[in-house]
Amino acid sequence: MGKRLLWSLILSSALTATWADAAEKTAVQVMHQGDPGFVAAYGKVAERFEAANPDVDIQFIYAPHDAYNEKFSAAVMAKQLPDVMELDAPFLANYVWSGYLQPLKPLVDKDLLDDMTESNIAQGTYPIDKDLYAIGLTDSSVVLYGNKKYLEAIGARIPKSVDDAWTREEFEGYLEKLSKLDGVKWPIDTFRGYGIKTEWITYAYGPILQSAGCDLIDRKAWKSEGTLDSDACADALAMMQKWVKNGWVVPQSAGTNQFFAEGNPAALALGGHWVYAEAAATMKDNIVVLPLPKFGTKGASPNGTWIWAITKTSKHPDIAAKFISFMLKDKEYRAYVASQSGYPGLKSFAAESPLYAAGGPMAIAFEQASKTAIARPPHPAYPTITSAFMQAVDEAFNGGDPKEALTSAARKIDQDIEDNDGYPPFGDEQ
Amino acid sequence: MSDIALSIPQSRVAQPRSATRVLRAIQVTCIFIIALVIVSPLLLLVVASLKDDRFQILADMGSFRAFWVSNPTLSNYAEVGHLSGELAFGRYLINSLIILITTVCSGLIVNSMAGFVLAWGSLKGRAVILAIVIALYVIPQESIIMPLVIMVSRAGMSDTFAVQIVPWVASPLYIFLFYQFFSQLPKELLEAAEIDGASFFRAYRSIFLPLSLPALATVSILMGIETWNQYLWPILVTQTDYARPIAVAIATFFGQDSIYWDRAMAASVLMMIPILGLYLAFQRWFVSSFIGSAVKG
Repeated sequence: MGKRLLWSLILSSALTATWADAAEKTAVQVMHQGDPGFVAAYGKVAERFEAANPDVDIQFIYAPHDAYNEKFSAAVMAKQLPDVMELDAPFLANYVWSGYLQPLKPLVDKDLLDDMTESNIAQGTYPIDKDLYAIGLTDSSVVLYGNKKYLEAIGARIPKSVDDAWTREEFEGYLEKLSKLDGVKWPIDTFRGYGIKTEWITYAYGPILQSAGCDLIDRKAWKSEGTLDSDACADALAMMQKWVKNGWVVPQSAGTNQFFAEGNPAALALGGHWVYAEAAATMKDNIVVLPLPKFGTKGASPNGTWIWAITKTSKHPDIAAKFISFMLKDKEYRAYVASQSGYPGLKSFAAESPLYAAGGPMAIAFEQASKTAIARPPHPAYPTITSAFMQAVDEAFNGGDPKEALTSAARKIDQDIEDNDGYPPFGDEQ
Repeated sequence: MSDIALSIPQSRVAQPRSATRVLRAIQVTCIFIIALVIVSPLLLLVVASLKDDRFQILADMGSFRAFWVSNPTLSNYAEVGHLSGELAFGRYLINSLIILITTVCSGLIVNSMAGFVLAWGSLKGRAVILAIVIALYVIPQESIIMPLVIMVSRAGMSDTFAVQIVPWVASPLYIFLFYQFFSQLPKELLEAAEIDGASFFRAYRSIFLPLSLPALATVSILMGIETWNQYLWPILVTQTDYARPIAVAIATFFGQDSIYWDRAMAASVLMMIPILGLYLAFQRWFVSSFIGSAVKG
């Protein structure tokens, strides 16, 4: 009897101690997306952070990429926003305008802020108060990948820098030559396989319009009609439509890897920086990285990726910021991101990367960040802007009239802005 | 009579027989082709899950190579099985099974009871309630999903098994199915039970429910598939792997930049097995239910 009592006491003390230990921990919720590699990497960072901070419990909330916005809306409605959230940079303005995020500068480590590249600062800054609301280890860009063997066969000029990019005439001339070359099934893969449920169309094709001399929206008046439906934009979209009609572009049904698939059926690829790792592994020295062509008088390239922010509802913003700082400095996490050809958003990360440093195979991609990168419209109406533009491009690629499709998109965008009274104070201050 | 039959020349008898054989061969070929078309996506899924290169899976799409694997491997299954922490598929699979079994069992009880009351109950306004039930069926789930999220979060049900079970137990479609089935049974059964002193509930439990096996099987399968494939709802109302089902876990393989087709296919095959088992277990009654409805129709 005495023994049983003793064991009961020991057991209950142990349970109480465990419970007390769990209760003492401060829970910090982190909402994120990502493929299995990144999910595992975040998990390991959290383990190391918890080991260094035994009083903190990092709780992850995973939301699949294609349902991330729905999950975010549900969290807002249920008043269950996490402390830390990963967000796609162009949506930042909408989130800040809606009052979901808090400024980061007073919270994260100063050395990290000093380490950010200009493009990284731009993607995390809200243009109205010029405050920084999100930070990331990485940024992004799109380049033109080429199959060296095919380009040599048609005698194509290989640009050595961003300033030296192909002109529209050169580019279209090469596409035509490649379409007649043996072994080339499609002259270019524009990654239509990503579909219209991701940001790809606005992200990658938007700069083609900007390079051709127009934009998705006037960035001073914040009005789309007169800009997106201008002749320059209609001409640029008609140009892309022609590529599709001519059978030069890899169709959506063929997936997203025809540039480096067996037999290399696509000669060029308008692809994100992340394509490099897989393509180089398959193609070895046969891959050449080129800057995006100039479709008008200037070059244009995209930037922005998934970055980390702290919500306004967070009860522990200091610990949340401590976790973000820890993750961005974590050596093993940085090594994993580098192995995925992560595009540097921190100067120190760029210096560590032989891929993006001067002379590296992706140096041109990094050069684009300072010379031609144009952020997607940092406006609260961005969700509508991107959705309307993607629909217009999809319509044109499926045989619709480019001018009509863009006119309809411009109307939708302006209507949304009007419905929200110009998203004040945006209309007044910009 | 037999003399006349015997007097028919042998060649004239053989002709219709060979025509029947040709017709039968055409029928069999057609059935085989249709079966192949129906089974091919399933076959493609299984074959792709046995390939060790995710890029090869994509490259093979659109050709017959998609249905062939020269060096089959179970490495994708091993990788899915070895994932741990937030990606522990075993955990998600068990969660899915718990949600499936609880939802279907509760659904059978609740919906059959509601259907029985609507068919034979004595409550006033049955016709109006039935009309409302049918009207509810046409409301798309998407239109009520956000208000429902707010409701369950206010009720403190977020990130639980209950939040994935309770809202979907009662369903207008299944209530209507049971109502239709029960109302086709003869009223004399209920009258006889009442004469024998059985209560209304006893008549339901001991007489009508055992007779409704085809309806139970149909609802089990339909409800099982619906529950098993729930995707958006669990994402919205759960936060962690504590109660999340496998459909959410598979979405991990569809990243922003890359799609891991190899592991996604293996996980999909694993996800398919339990629901296939459910169908095979109930298919006899499921088929007879459909045949019955068609004959009575």
